Amino acid sequence: MYALVDANSFYASCHQIFRPELEAKPIIVLSNRDGNVVARSAEAKALGIKMGQLFFETRELVDAHEVVVFSSNYELYGDISARLMSLLTQFTPDVEVYSIDEAFLQLEEYTGIYPTYRGLGQTIRDSIRQWLRLPVGVGIGPTKTLAKVANRLAKIKPELNGVCVLDTKEKIDEALWGFPVEELWGVGGRSASKLKKQGIRTAYQLREVNDDWIGRVMTVNGLRLVHELRGLPCKLLEVNPPPRKAICTEPGFGKVIPDLNNITDALTTHLSRICEKLRKQESLCGAVTVWLRTNPHRRTPGNYLPAKQYSSSVTVRLPHPTSSTLEIIKYAESGLKAIFKFGYNYQRVGIMLTDLVPADYRQVGVFAKGPDERLIRLSAVVDKVNKRYGQDKLRLASQMYNPEWPMKPAYLSPRYTTRWEDVLEVK
Amino acid sequence: MIDWIDYLPPENIFLTDPTRRKELPFFDTAVQAGFPNPADNYIRQRLNLQDLCVLHPDNTYFVKAVGESMLGDYIFPGSILVVDSTRPIETGMVIVIWVNEGWCVKRYIDKSPMIVLESSNENYAPMYLHPDRDRVAVLGEVTYIISKPPRYARPR
Repeated sequence: MYALVDANSFYASCHQIFRPELEAKPIIVLSNRDGNVVARSAEAKALGIKMGQLFFETRELVDAHEVVVFSSNYELYGDISARLMSLLTQFTPDVEVYSIDEAFLQLEEYTGIYPTYRGLGQTIRDSIRQWLRLPVGVGIGPTKTLAKVANRLAKIKPELNGVCVLDTKEKIDEALWGFPVEELWGVGGRSASKLKKQGIRTAYQLREVNDDWIGRVMTVNGLRLVHELRGLPCKLLEVNPPPRKAICTEPGFGKVIPDLNNITDALTTHLSRICEKLRKQESLCGAVTVWLRTNPHRRTPGNYLPAKQYSSSVTVRLPHPTSSTLEIIKYAESGLKAIFKFGYNYQRVGIMLTDLVPADYRQVGVFAKGPDERLIRLSAVVDKVNKRYGQDKLRLASQMYNPEWPMKPAYLSPRYTTRWEDVLEVK
Repeated sequence: MIDWIDYLPPENIFLTDPTRRKELPFFDTAVQAGFPNPADNYIRQRLNLQDLCVLHPDNTYFVKAVGESMLGDYIFPGSILVVDSTRPIETGMVIVIWVNEGWCVKRYIDKSPMIVLESSNENYAPMYLHPDRDRVAVLGEVTYIISKPPRYARPR
């Protein structure tokens, strides 16, 4: 049996841990630069605020209903998530961290300690509530897909008290009977519309289809899904996640900029940031991709016609894997120059580092030398200095330096568990 | 040959994480077999306050005291409190609790259905709370108090 444990509106709930007065209040959390809504509490969802909606569009609702607004506080979310995942291993040793707020647990052979699945689910829920003050839902089923279905039902049916167990054929049948096919794990918008064309609207109908047919319509993934719905585990627990294969960032400029120098400055700044990340996870990257695009929704001021659009990307393969900002920036800049076109108002520049290998990987090519070890050591020193004295204290000269940029989020909250200056004060 | 009695005690079996590799120096010279350091067997890890004060790292919060209501329990303004949420709260514990809009540290006494929150400074009256009337939320039990020694005041 598998259990899926996930936190209810995780980002919003993290803010409620240390602010109990916000429980049962509408809360929204904004993206990195306060641009979009990235998380909503159940109460904010009920007001009709949508995921990904632009913040200024929600302004009226926010003012009218006294919605509490937070800028995203990833330090807090990250720490609470790490605590949650670590605590879940107390219930069973096999835990797959599926996302920042979800984990699969394998429940085989623990029936001696936990007589019923429902009791175990309730224990997990109550313990996490006491330990972290975090509300979680638990779904239990014979496969990961069914555990996901159970978790969804635990959320929408209040009478289940946050725990849903699908352990008998009757319960599974009943759960799948009315379950919309597009809400299944791994069914995207396109597969869903394909299935609906064939008259398949519920998970129950999908489970009964012919194997060959589903293999043709939805490839092997669809076949796996159908097997999982029938109770045959196809997706197994991945306890040791593979290291990340790519690191990527695509920040907006805040305002549109047409000028190559400014874009290069922004590129350097963000590249330094993701190279830091690369070195932190002890990897080297073998290729860098740069892309550039205009705002697809922008209209020309004056005549209000859609503005002219441009977007392009280029991948530069490095002669040898490296993690040095100095080396990577050379290739990223030449890539940017190659795709830059004069005369457009650009909104975003993106960088992605791919072909990651472990930091101790060295392969000397026939024509290429290995990476310059001195540069890699230099980067390590730069990281150390910046960790001690603050971000960007030691930086490349080509990096734009404007203390007001990147824009400071306006609705910051304390990082209660990771900064001494931010700890909770009690009377 | 391994004697059958020469078994491996279970406490010597460690789980390793092969994803993190560290290079060890390799000495390409003969090793002088001299007298070994007699203290080798006694070298242990240095003491660490975290090990003493934080039994459950995932359930522990640090908070800072700002009021004077718990002076009698050695909690001064500026003290750092180690708060552990592992155990359910019981009568007699010093706890960090949120009551009607604010966090405070108090001694908890269960007088069902009421709860009493006592201060240890006589200038502060105990609080009597009823679950129907008051909203409360518990962070956890104070397990350690970390304070600087009081400032030296020169006698006049």
